[in-house]
Amino acid sequence: MKKLFFLFCLLGGLAPAVAQQALSGRVVSAADNSPLPGASVRLKDAATGAITNHEGYFTLPVTQQTGVLQVSFLGFVSQEYAYTLPLPEPLVLVLAPAHQGLQEVVISTGYQQLPRERATGSFAQVDKATFNEQVGPDVLSRLEAVANGLTVNRAGFEPQLLVRGLSSINGAQSPLIVVDNFPYEGDITNINPNDVESITILRDAAAASIWGARAGNGVIVITTKKGRYHQPLSAEINVNVTAVAKPDLSYLRPISASDFIDVEQALFEKGYFDSQLNAVSRPELSPVVEILARKKNGTLSPEQADAQINALRQVDVRDEFDRHMYQQAVRQQYALHLRSGSDVLAWSLAAGYDRNTDELAATYNRLSLRFQNTLRPHRNLALSTGAFYTQRESGSGKPGYGQIGNWNNNLYPYARFADENGTPLPLHKDYTQAYKDTVGGGRLKDWNYYPLEDYRHAHSATTLQDVTANFGLQYTWRHGLSGDVKYQYERQQTEGQQLYGEESYFARDFVNRYAQLPPGTGAIRYVVPEGGILDQTGTLLASQNLRGQLNLDRSWGNHTVTAIIGAEMRHARVTGSRTRLYGYDPERLTFGEVDYTTRYPHLVTGGLLFIPDNSNRDHRTDRFLSQYANAAYTFRDRYTVSLSARRDASNLFGLKTNDRWNPLWSSGLSWELSKEPFYRSGFLPFLKLRSTYGYSGSTNPAFTAVSTLFYVATSPYTQNTYARFSNYANPDLSWETVGMWNIGLDFGTKDNRLTGSLEYYRKRAFDLLALYPVDYTTGVGSQVMRNVASMAGRGADLEIRSRNIDRALQWTSQLNLSLNREKVTDYYLGESAAYQYVTPGYRITGETGKPLHAVYSYKWAGLDPQTGNPQGFVDGEVSQDYFAIVYGEAKPDELQYHGSALPTAFGSLGNTLSWKRLSLTARISWKLGYYFRAPSIQYGSLFDAWGGHADFARRWQQPGDERTTHVPSLTYPNDSARDVFYAGSEVLVEKGDHVRLQYISASYDLLRPDTGRKSFKNMQAYLNLGNLGILWRANRRGLDPDVSALNALPQPPSVSLGLKATL
Amino acid sequence: MKPIILRPSLYGLLLLITFLFGSCDSFLDESPDKKLALPSTLQDMQALLDNHSVMNQNSPAGSSVTSADNIYLPSVTWNAMSNESERRKYTWEKDNLFRMGYRPNHWYNVFQPIYHANTVLESLSGIPRTAANASTWDDVKGQASFYRGEALLAAAYVWALAYDEATASTDLGLPLRLGTSFHEQLVRASVRDTYEQVMRDLREAATLLPAGTQHPVRPSKPAAYAVLARACLSMRKYVEAGAYADSSLALYDGLLDYNQLSATPTYPLPAFNAEVLHHNIFGGVQSLTIGNARVDTLLYASYAADDLRRTLFFRRNADGTNAFRGSYAGSSSYFAGAATNEVYLIQAEARARTGDVTGAMESLNKLLRTRWKTDTFQEYAADNAAGALELILQERRKELLFRGLRWMDIKRLNREGAGIALQRVLNGNTYLLPPGDPRFALAIPEDVIEQSGMQQNPR
Repeated sequence: MKKLFFLFCLLGGLAPAVAQQALSGRVVSAADNSPLPGASVRLKDAATGAITNHEGYFTLPVTQQTGVLQVSFLGFVSQEYAYTLPLPEPLVLVLAPAHQGLQEVVISTGYQQLPRERATGSFAQVDKATFNEQVGPDVLSRLEAVANGLTVNRAGFEPQLLVRGLSSINGAQSPLIVVDNFPYEGDITNINPNDVESITILRDAAAASIWGARAGNGVIVITTKKGRYHQPLSAEINVNVTAVAKPDLSYLRPISASDFIDVEQALFEKGYFDSQLNAVSRPELSPVVEILARKKNGTLSPEQADAQINALRQVDVRDEFDRHMYQQAVRQQYALHLRSGSDVLAWSLAAGYDRNTDELAATYNRLSLRFQNTLRPHRNLALSTGAFYTQRESGSGKPGYGQIGNWNNNLYPYARFADENGTPLPLHKDYTQAYKDTVGGGRLKDWNYYPLEDYRHAHSATTLQDVTANFGLQYTWRHGLSGDVKYQYERQQTEGQQLYGEESYFARDFVNRYAQLPPGTGAIRYVVPEGGILDQTGTLLASQNLRGQLNLDRSWGNHTVTAIIGAEMRHARVTGSRTRLYGYDPERLTFGEVDYTTRYPHLVTGGLLFIPDNSNRDHRTDRFLSQYANAAYTFRDRYTVSLSARRDASNLFGLKTNDRWNPLWSSGLSWELSKEPFYRSGFLPFLKLRSTYGYSGSTNPAFTAVSTLFYVATSPYTQNTYARFSNYANPDLSWETVGMWNIGLDFGTKDNRLTGSLEYYRKRAFDLLALYPVDYTTGVGSQVMRNVASMAGRGADLEIRSRNIDRALQWTSQLNLSLNREKVTDYYLGESAAYQYVTPGYRITGETGKPLHAVYSYKWAGLDPQTGNPQGFVDGEVSQDYFAIVYGEAKPDELQYHGSALPTAFGSLGNTLSWKRLSLTARISWKLGYYFRAPSIQYGSLFDAWGGHADFARRWQQPGDERTTHVPSLTYPNDSARDVFYAGSEVLVEKGDHVRLQYISASYDLLRPDTGRKSFKNMQAYLNLGNLGILWRANRRGLDPDVSALNALPQPPSVSLGLKATL
Repeated sequence: MKPIILRPSLYGLLLLITFLFGSCDSFLDESPDKKLALPSTLQDMQALLDNHSVMNQNSPAGSSVTSADNIYLPSVTWNAMSNESERRKYTWEKDNLFRMGYRPNHWYNVFQPIYHANTVLESLSGIPRTAANASTWDDVKGQASFYRGEALLAAAYVWALAYDEATASTDLGLPLRLGTSFHEQLVRASVRDTYEQVMRDLREAATLLPAGTQHPVRPSKPAAYAVLARACLSMRKYVEAGAYADSSLALYDGLLDYNQLSATPTYPLPAFNAEVLHHNIFGGVQSLTIGNARVDTLLYASYAADDLRRTLFFRRNADGTNAFRGSYAGSSSYFAGAATNEVYLIQAEARARTGDVTGAMESLNKLLRTRWKTDTFQEYAADNAAGALELILQERRKELLFRGLRWMDIKRLNREGAGIALQRVLNGNTYLLPPGDPRFALAIPEDVIEQSGMQQNPR
């Protein structure tokens, strides 16, 4: 603490006491009069200079009454200005933008605005124009196609944004998202993309380490549009509508109805369904099995049975979904932005409204309002306030493919939703249909499930309201010293309501299940009251941030210092509740009473069940204290050294006080080579070299060092609250650390025809939390979390912008190219069995020297020509001992290693053609160098769970087939290890490489520049075609490697039409 | 005009930053989640032990039931079973009898409650026993000891051979997990050491537990005596078994008169009924679902027409076979806890084996009277100890189905020379398990052996 004070005193003390007079002024852009912070203003032929502040102001000590100022700013044409003191009027220096190139020259880290020329770290920026080439409804979804070094991993369960690949195994893997100075705690889709001014991605340690323990995965800083001083009132209007094609269900490849029926018939004859037909629980059986059962017990004639079954062979459930469930999605967007600024006040007001209906008729509306102003009552004092409000409402729609069916959400492929007349048909669900039809003799509620109607009765709605308010105060003292206090409060309230109406299957099933039915014709007694069931959830997030910061922006002679030091505290609390009401009547708001402590016999199985209470309360608190400092020193405008340090502490449970603080640092160097006197290149007038090294961190609050208990609920037996372990005592846990070295080259050719940057980085992440195998005799499961792993990554990011043709016709290109490879350097997963490497899906393999998510497979020795059994290898010998292959001791050498499950090369290329008032942009993107597993038939799932794949038709059926297919034959009883072997075999591994046409957008200026009516400054119509599909893919199965989830569909193409106007 | 404002002091800001720098750790002492607690109070311990889904629903006894001869599976049923380990267990294969990896299996089911018990026992050492908390403190410690002893015993039934004085010191028992550290390398204790640990834990429990509890999901003194009696019986220490049975029944000897039960419900025997001393159940075993497991034909035939169990225990399948529905869990789950009917049978057997024929028949008849239709029961009588024993063992098998006890009975009775050989016929193949076969101790899951380096049961 004292040392830091000392540092400040020292920095202050360096100020030379030569200033006798001060020359003040302001630097603005000729394009829109906006201030240019970070511009360099210096006296010609003297060693005095200054840097403009956030609002473009500068103060320069001068000794002469007259002189020449040199004003320069990257991306703008430098200017000289001769002054004479005293100034006749306030000095405003207007710089004309240079040609397209490094326009976005101010980098926002969330803590400071930094001129790019003095940055040593790795910052990638997405400017407003590129960002707005797409019309997606949220911010992050627009980034994948345009941001450099950023990719979205879709191999896991949820799409995951990654900056420069992975840096953690079990900690957070996604970047920290900062909106206007503070981490955004709410749902990021609250932010209207129309409000975004710019986006900066902090990629290396020097850039991100200012965010400390949460920055290990990079930081995305979103800056919203703000008002500016000295600006007349302007209004921007943006309106668009998007139509999305119906999803293509033919992409899904379930087993055909006819094949499925053949399998069911064969199984039925073998007695496979006997125990289910016999079972007390009356489990659901498919229509064909029930027909066969009736045929067998004589209640249906063989002819009728066969006729009914044959009719079902023609059905394709995909057609049913297509006809009855899916539709075109429509999205509408309206945005208005007003801003204005006088000398002392700058304000902006943005309003946006989005109204979407998706392909399943689910609705989504978002209203967002942003108001921000900055008041400058005194030249040295700025007060800023902001208030943001978002309201979102979403409602559920129809069920999609894979969302209804049996316990596994699989459906028999001949399911029909309506008959020829459109009358809704029931699905076989939960219980044997024949039983449902007869039990209770009409006394129970209809026990059928009608997918075509049920979504009308079971509806969920979510309302979210987010209010964020912030307050900032900045005071500027002399000598470039200023101080900031910032405070932000956010409150996000989410209310969810799931109403299962009285008519819904859920409610009817619940009421029936608990109904007490006396034998004969006695009156029924309902234990769960008749009526609907209402589940309500509420979550309240309240967070507060307070930050105090001192800034120093000072130039003298050949020296420039930019430094900040500050501290902040953050408190975020989430409280949640969930309640359920039975017998709910939404008209009268009445509900019934139930007894949660008595067990009632299940109407079907007779087993005793409690009525689920489904109520819950949550109360969680995150607290952070952080202290940070960052300083950059530039000598002669060309050599820059930067240093950054930060430490964080949190209220993580069980950490000893000593372990709470996690110090992290980084440092960097840059050298603007092109400013050296010896540098004379007409071809490359701008060349800058920079390099950084440093650490950032990552933490997962879920893992703590001591045993913790989680109080679950009240035991219905003892009426005492009972607890489970939330965490097992694990005294060695600590923070994760990521170290990164980055070297970059920024360049610009003559007239900025070609500008860009090339960066190379290496990173090392250590003390990574990873699951470490323990023998489950310990009683804590088979794995525990420990800081046992480390990984190393390296990669390169290339960004090039070029002006290829610059005449009446303009052609510009933007290229993003990234390589990223990471490997595990230390991780003992103790893999004991081969299947642990091969398990289908996205899994950590943890083999040293291989990527974290590596794709392995079982080597394939073809199908057995006699039986159609798949064959692998055991100890180098061809084998059909699947148990040994799959569960035997793992010998990684005997497995086939393919490569990474995450793309190792990715990028995008955008080309824009402009001619007169027309502009056309097309962007392709690609992902290369990775592998995925194709789905195929799994006989176990086919028999047990109605899960079949169309590959069934290609299965081995007779000797000779092995020459044309690799799909194993059907065997009964099924051998589950055989399924596991085939699913993980090398014949199902495919290369993920593909190139995608992301979008084509066109815009046309409706107003001719010369004769434009005064009321509008400009007006533009635009068209965007999105998700245009895959142009090339390496796999021959026609699979989209970005669609990995079961039953997921590729994003269908969309078309948007919009209008933008400024007045 | 010069704005009238207070010129902000640099020192004010420095003060704020200093405050933020120096903010004491109390800001960080806030609990991250109100539902989280460090296990530190007796209430926390009780809350852990009240987690019924771990403590009362995890018995490994299903493996014993599948392996023993009270059930059989027709070939079609066996073929249709997707769980291969279950199929293998049924035919007494040498290996791969449990699903491995992330799917919890019976081995894990045993050691999860043991970890809970160990946590409680370790944490208790940090809570002083005072006059004010003595009864709760003792109760909590007794419960934890009970659970550990009970789980070890159930596991010994599955993975160890029967206790035999002659070989107990060398026969492989279980790894004895008595603490919470997961870094400790485990080795398998001998059968003798395993049983000694079981006895130590249960004796401790019997000393500390209260005579009665709020609800049978919590262990009590008579429950501890009952499990002690069970342990001694399987060690063939009949005198001790009898003494513990007496102690248990002296505290509680309630019986359920089956005449009061209706055969209409799917599961006629209620949970927590008058005979239940401690509730412990298991379920989710594919070979044992009511649609799959058939009751041994001869066993079913041995119930007399007036024996109420013939209807209350069984459900007639469409194919004429019988399924078991008489669990004291009152549901499709099976009971593996302690109940007085077992204690009466232990008492009877112990008396018979120690020559008290009258006493033995008295215990047996007291129990059976509640199993027969009112006024139809003819008291059993025996001329000598051997005759009494034969009757008692037969009734033991008929009374204690689907509890995982029969498997150990076969092993221990074979040590007494009963010569019970098991046989299965499936798809035309015959599978045999002769007396004394090492497969009477099931193979420990292979991944456990792999990771721990423990010794596998001889195959």
